[in-house]
Amino acid sequence: MMKLFIDETRCKGCNICTMVCPYSIFTPGDTPNRRGIYVPVLDRPERCTNCRLTYLYGRQLCGVCSMICPDQAISWIADEPYSARCVVIEY
Amino acid sequence: MTRDDWYRHDRLPHIYCSGCGNGSIINCVLEAVSDIGWNIDETVFISGIGCSSRAPGYIQTDSLHTTHGRAIAFATGVKLANPDLHIVIFTGDGDLGAIGGNHFIHACRRNIDLTVICINNYIYGMTGGQGSPLTPYGKKSTTTPYGACEMPFDLCNLAVAAGANYVSRWTSYHVTELTKAVTAGLLTEGFSFIEVISQCPTSYGRRNSLREVSDQILYLKNNAVLHQRWKRMQEKGEDLSSDQFVVGEFIRQSRPSMGVSR
Amino acid sequence: MSRTEFFQGNIACAEGALAAGCRFFGGYPITPSTEVAEHLALKLPKVKGGCFIQMEDEIAGIAAVIGASWTGVRAMTATSGPGFSLMMENIGYAIMTETPCVIVNIQRGGPSTGQPTMAAQGDMMQCRFGSHGDSSIIALCPASVQECFELTVKAFNLADQFRTPVFLMADEAIGHMRERISIPDSVPYTGRKPAEKDTLPFKPDEDLIPGFAPFGSGHHVPVTGLTHDWRGYPATTNPDLHAELVSRLYHKIEDKRNGIADYEIENREASVVFICYGAPARTVAQVLHDQKHDGKDDLGCLRLRIVWPFPEALLEQFPHASVFIVPELNLGMISREIQRHTAVPVRSVSKIGGELHTPRELLQVAEEYR
Repeated sequence: MMKLFIDETRCKGCNICTMVCPYSIFTPGDTPNRRGIYVPVLDRPERCTNCRLTYLYGRQLCGVCSMICPDQAISWIADEPYSARCVVIEY
Repeated sequence: MTRDDWYRHDRLPHIYCSGCGNGSIINCVLEAVSDIGWNIDETVFISGIGCSSRAPGYIQTDSLHTTHGRAIAFATGVKLANPDLHIVIFTGDGDLGAIGGNHFIHACRRNIDLTVICINNYIYGMTGGQGSPLTPYGKKSTTTPYGACEMPFDLCNLAVAAGANYVSRWTSYHVTELTKAVTAGLLTEGFSFIEVISQCPTSYGRRNSLREVSDQILYLKNNAVLHQRWKRMQEKGEDLSSDQFVVGEFIRQSRPSMGVSR
Repeated sequence: MSRTEFFQGNIACAEGALAAGCRFFGGYPITPSTEVAEHLALKLPKVKGGCFIQMEDEIAGIAAVIGASWTGVRAMTATSGPGFSLMMENIGYAIMTETPCVIVNIQRGGPSTGQPTMAAQGDMMQCRFGSHGDSSIIALCPASVQECFELTVKAFNLADQFRTPVFLMADEAIGHMRERISIPDSVPYTGRKPAEKDTLPFKPDEDLIPGFAPFGSGHHVPVTGLTHDWRGYPATTNPDLHAELVSRLYHKIEDKRNGIADYEIENREASVVFICYGAPARTVAQVLHDQKHDGKDDLGCLRLRIVWPFPEALLEQFPHASVFIVPELNLGMISREIQRHTAVPVRSVSKIGGELHTPRELLQVAEEYR
């Protein structure tokens, strides 16, 4: 599994990613970070095609957010595999 | 190697303003270069002066950041002296269309094996938004405060007329298509020219009712007319509106070229 | 073994370039330097790795030369006044990026289009100070066809050694004059100091000159005309860094000016001393020869083959000098430089219009000081 990652040291808050994601995972941020930049917030990032299917297809899929990000801030990092049989019991 | 390996990470983040399209275009070019699998030691990025021309400084290869408008002339020397090197040129609309215009048409005529990525943001960004030869008619800049009264160049048609082997135009919004076009350009022997229309929210957008980055992105998205559609429009006798522009591949041919590694 | 030929200065210059291992010429036709380009157009394509290209203008010519030089080959261009003026910005770029290259300027009468087919030395200040910003360069002045050959070879060696543009400042008279010339089988060669692995590309050694890492060698050099640090990264707002860089570019040449000096001295005991370079040196030689023939030996001569950086220590070689007479084909460019360095009176004998000084003219001036 992969996980979407926004590098806050690079993001300049232009919000172009919020316009291109087919799942609208990126949403404009509402609190400035330490550098005064409104870094976009991820809305249920597990929906990302690339996160789910990269290993299945053996190549990068979609990737438009990373490609169009002018500040090279969006990337994917490895994540724990999603386990379908894992049941979370809430007491 | 992936796209990420081509960046000089110690130089990032770059100097471009928030929302500038240059970064997206560098992404696309590096994606194309790494897709093709060129050797990082044998690839050289060359540029002139301007926002676009700072790009090679962020790329982990040999690079030549030259004088205003002369990138193609420098590249001609590099390529002819060592045809084994792969050369990509980053330039801008002012750098290529104004001060470097002569070098541009002659490189097309020679059909020398270079790939030129011209980032067209309609103005001179680095110096604060002056009008360029590609500022659309009627649009405002600091030196055309009442709207540009000169007609702009169409660099793609110019390149086709001057004899380039590959010519296409895309925008910084169309990243997938742009990457494909750059790949095609890099693989074409002879002179390849890719014009990329890009947003400049800082200097162009805010003077031309496109204040937000999103406004400019939508402008690029909505006004791009695919080359094939434009041909159909011509057949029907329709014309482009003043904001519309043609995107797509203008020509792909194999005129004799020079500087090709044998 | 050497071979003897009957060449004009421009051809000798081109032959010198070939002998020195020049493999790239980029230029634009301009009278009176065209023969250099024509000869190299004939010869370079037949040399392994040789490339000749006629560019769209002189700006592109010097640009292509600088580009070619970064691939590690020896590269040159040839031009005259108007083209030289066009090249100035890129010459500054070559200075800032420490790119070795040779620029041949067969000087003609200026300003502007001036006298395309007449001799002049009016670009002597332009080659030194023409490009904006503080800098230093090396300029050589041949006075014969043989020297056109030898000094072209030397120009390439100096360019590579000091990583700087080097100018061969000939004039129309020398360029178009035909003389006997002896071409040796081999010529002196001093190549570029290579950059060591894993060193910063613009980090100078003790001699103030960084090693050269050509494109394609895996050093990943970012070359820029902006003020840059040792890595080659732009650092335009750092005052100390700019001062250090530009001072180094200046001192790497100026500090060695008396070592670089190339000259000929005749009669150190003389009281009347001619200081000359280029074509006027031939008239001076005639005057000295005639006077010696007449039994008079109070005339002396300092002939500079390298004018920039100016070797001012040489002026002290004439302890009895009462005057320095400086014949030039301009309105006294180098005579003023000499004045800056000496208490001995300096007399400029300018001649512009395209003709050389006659021996009589120079002798008349010398007579005034006898």
